[in-house]
Amino acid sequence: MDWSSVSEVAIPHPREIQVAVVEWLDERYPFTKSVDEALYQRVPNFANAFYYCFGGMVFILIVLQLLTGILLSLYYVPDATGIPAPAYTSVQFIQNTVYLGWLIRGVHFWGANLLIIMVLLHMARVYWTGSYRAPRELNWMVGVVMLLLILAFSLTGYLLPWDQKAYFATEVTIKIAGLPPPPQLGEFIREILQGGPVVGPPTLQRFFTIHVFLLPALITLLMYVHFRFIRAHGISEPM
Amino acid sequence: MDDRIIDKGGPGAATAATEIPIVEVDSHGGHVLEPEWKRLPIGPDHILYSVVVGLALFPILMGAAGHHLADDMPDEDTHPFFPDHFWPYPIIAVVMLVAVGLLAYFVQKNLQLEPSADPRAATIPRPDWYFLFLFQFIKLGPELFMAVVIPTVAGLALLVWPFIDAIAGPRVAKRLGWKGWPVPGRNIITGTGWVLFLAFIALLTLWALAGPQFCLPWFINNPVCGA
Repeated sequence: MDWSSVSEVAIPHPREIQVAVVEWLDERYPFTKSVDEALYQRVPNFANAFYYCFGGMVFILIVLQLLTGILLSLYYVPDATGIPAPAYTSVQFIQNTVYLGWLIRGVHFWGANLLIIMVLLHMARVYWTGSYRAPRELNWMVGVVMLLLILAFSLTGYLLPWDQKAYFATEVTIKIAGLPPPPQLGEFIREILQGGPVVGPPTLQRFFTIHVFLLPALITLLMYVHFRFIRAHGISEPM
Repeated sequence: MDDRIIDKGGPGAATAATEIPIVEVDSHGGHVLEPEWKRLPIGPDHILYSVVVGLALFPILMGAAGHHLADDMPDEDTHPFFPDHFWPYPIIAVVMLVAVGLLAYFVQKNLQLEPSADPRAATIPRPDWYFLFLFQFIKLGPELFMAVVIPTVAGLALLVWPFIDAIAGPRVAKRLGWKGWPVPGRNIITGTGWVLFLAFIALLTLWALAGPQFCLPWFINNPVCGA
């Protein structure tokens, strides 16, 4: 028997397949070079100080919030009609009945609180070391806008369980948002947020949409801009 | 690679690519990377490379790196991003995940729902802890001024702070006879200002946390109580 033909059709080692795939990719885009530039670029030693990791922690927490938020949205019903409202009973269902629902909701809740702490620490660090200075002014401004987005996240998220404290806290929020003069402007802002004469089902619908569609899209976009700026500027000089 | 003879004259020949031009940039944008012999041996033939190659998305999305501080520093003052700078982050991620998981398990009372919203009920709301300072601040003056004007001005000042610092700072330094205008961490004015600002917010938060029975005399709305 001629064994040489058998060895020709033998299944290649997975490593050979992988190398072939990488070569195929490299002919179309410099992937290997990109990986090298991502991994082996050098970082100053002073960036090892613990306070330089707050921004990374914020990033990890935002990813965690996005993941747990998607899981929560599988069961949450943004409907505020009636007492108790479906929104309220769906949160109760998540908390008490859904397998590990309490854990996902708890992680989303505590993650949000931790996120605020880490954002403030990150901002305090950037201020303290003067990292907002030229050429990084634009990145500071992107960061401040993201801080406002995070606060908008917490304000809109607070209403979603549709219990008493959520309802009345949102009433106060919308009252304050409707203060700016002239009265027509205040009335307009209130109308936009509330979707009616009082806080009701349209308000929940709007806050849900802002919390789940608008803000995640905006913050993802701005995080991208934030990181792109960091990539261009590199880490700032030590204090 | 492919020994078949390709008919270059047939129909559609004008659009058919017979050769793929290799995208090649020989340098790394002027950056000196960690030399290959010092890297972990996770090259294209390593089982973990498929994990590592996912990280390539990062430079693809982020574009080329600019000229960084590390590019001008001696080797002994720098370290490679992977694994030296990267390894703490997966650990931090796991520690934070465990921390919020433990909080979710042991502190469930913060997640307990009140009765379903009923507009007829009269409940005095209390905001989340990070808005308490603002809630308390509003009580200290005319509502419009404290709730809208000052927060808007403060927010805008925060937004354009780099420019305030760059324009006003050197002038103040000149007047004081300083050689330069240091960063806030080494600047008696901006540094102390920051600490006082944070202390003010902390005080307002504590005042609110002290509760509705804790009242202090004040010029307006006297006395002002916690939340």
